[in-house]
Amino acid sequence: MIIDCHTHWSMDQWPQNKPDPETWWDVPGRHGIDHAIVLPLAALTDDTKLQLENDRIHQVCRESNGRMIPFCSVKPSQGDPAVAELQRCTGKFHTRGIKIHPWLQGTCVNTSHMDRICEVAGDSGIPLLFHDGTPCVSLPSQIGLLARRHPKTTMILGHLGLMEHWREAISVMRKESNIWGCLCGPHVAAIKEILQRCDRSRLLWGSDYGFGNVDPIDYRLDLLKIQNLKHGDMEKILDHNPKRLLSL
Amino acid sequence: MTIIIDAYCTPGTERETQLSPRQLLRMMDDAGIDRAVIAPQDREIAVCNIDGNQRILEMAEQFGERFIPACSVNPWLGREGNDIFSAAIEAGAKLLVLAPALQGFNLGDELTDELLALAGELSVPVYIHTGPHSSSAPSQLLLVAERHLSTHFILGHCGSSDYSHDMPAVFSVAPKNVWFEISLVRPWAMASYKEMADPSRFIFGSYAPRNDPRLELQYLNREMPRERYPQVYGDNLLGLFQGAKK
Repeated sequence: MIIDCHTHWSMDQWPQNKPDPETWWDVPGRHGIDHAIVLPLAALTDDTKLQLENDRIHQVCRESNGRMIPFCSVKPSQGDPAVAELQRCTGKFHTRGIKIHPWLQGTCVNTSHMDRICEVAGDSGIPLLFHDGTPCVSLPSQIGLLARRHPKTTMILGHLGLMEHWREAISVMRKESNIWGCLCGPHVAAIKEILQRCDRSRLLWGSDYGFGNVDPIDYRLDLLKIQNLKHGDMEKILDHNPKRLLSL
Repeated sequence: MTIIIDAYCTPGTERETQLSPRQLLRMMDDAGIDRAVIAPQDREIAVCNIDGNQRILEMAEQFGERFIPACSVNPWLGREGNDIFSAAIEAGAKLLVLAPALQGFNLGDELTDELLALAGELSVPVYIHTGPHSSSAPSQLLLVAERHLSTHFILGHCGSSDYSHDMPAVFSVAPKNVWFEISLVRPWAMASYKEMADPSRFIFGSYAPRNDPRLELQYLNREMPRERYPQVYGDNLLGLFQGAKK
């Protein structure tokens, strides 16, 4: 089984009032993906769309026969409204996680606003998936500090440091046991070292499908396949770990 | 038959660039790459410029035409750095590599001016790594390229990944002395980049061993088929080298 832990669904790209999962799923389905974590997109750059996109994502995932797993987003710097929106999504939709994109959302990671979101997430038992790898508000080490303050909250480095901060991501994963990492961004040599030095039971794989009108899935899968991992390790990353993370 | 030249490889001994020259040759053969630019590894770019340049020049000499040697010098060395650069060119280096994040300077400032002017005088193209840090953004490269119009610049990695948002603006105003090297540019980004700049400006590079050359070529070929864009695979880079005085 392959679970893609980093995809996006945008209300701008799929604007129908009654979202259709089949069209979106055409690409993942073609590549043999079984499930996908679905993150918001349009709302990350326009917070007036947050509620509506959260609604639509949960609606489209509900109609996907369990293939699409919804995450919501909130803008932490909004304070009370952000907490309220998160509570709405956990209460009404049983959202499976939260996506935070600090630089697109104009949000610093180490703030009291973010602490409140982490507390609610921790209490609800859902993970936060961060965009990471980009200064000056999305470094793995910044998310590591947040994780240290909230040891009961699970946090995912959505890109494991991207092209240049992957060594930092390794250090953070080795230090903070509540940090997981999604192989979605680093190059081949970085992936090799991440696999050697990080706890493989906290590694996930993702494609970033849905971010733009492109098909990144086969390339991202190939980056993992050429590592020649043992079958058991591939199963862990593509299947067992995400199931454990999400209690599937 | 199109010649394929890989514009950036790092046969090294440390960290993620552990790769012997023979391993690199095998990678090139496997991918169908005719020649490759070889560059010093990170420590040599940052602090051991002379040793790194020497190692790369010796490697190129040992393996003949397959390897094209690049050199590096830290701009903080000032006049001494200019001498190190000149000596490397005299000894056969064809390309100057700068990596602001490794070498500890901000690309947009005047620190590099003498070195870049010298590169222009010697007609040696300058490859500059760009990336998501604040010391080497594509927009900063434009600042220096516009100041040094007689120097040829290769904008390494096209700012991958997060400065990709700047690239449409960069493509639209880049002066004629800037070329775009595409290692670390993901295939789907290339699909849009190719619509924004003339093919004569793009240069294929794998960034091996950080990337797998065969895989990178396979995906690039889908977006920019070799038959249709032969210049991207080698001729554009070759043209830059043929402009060099040595």
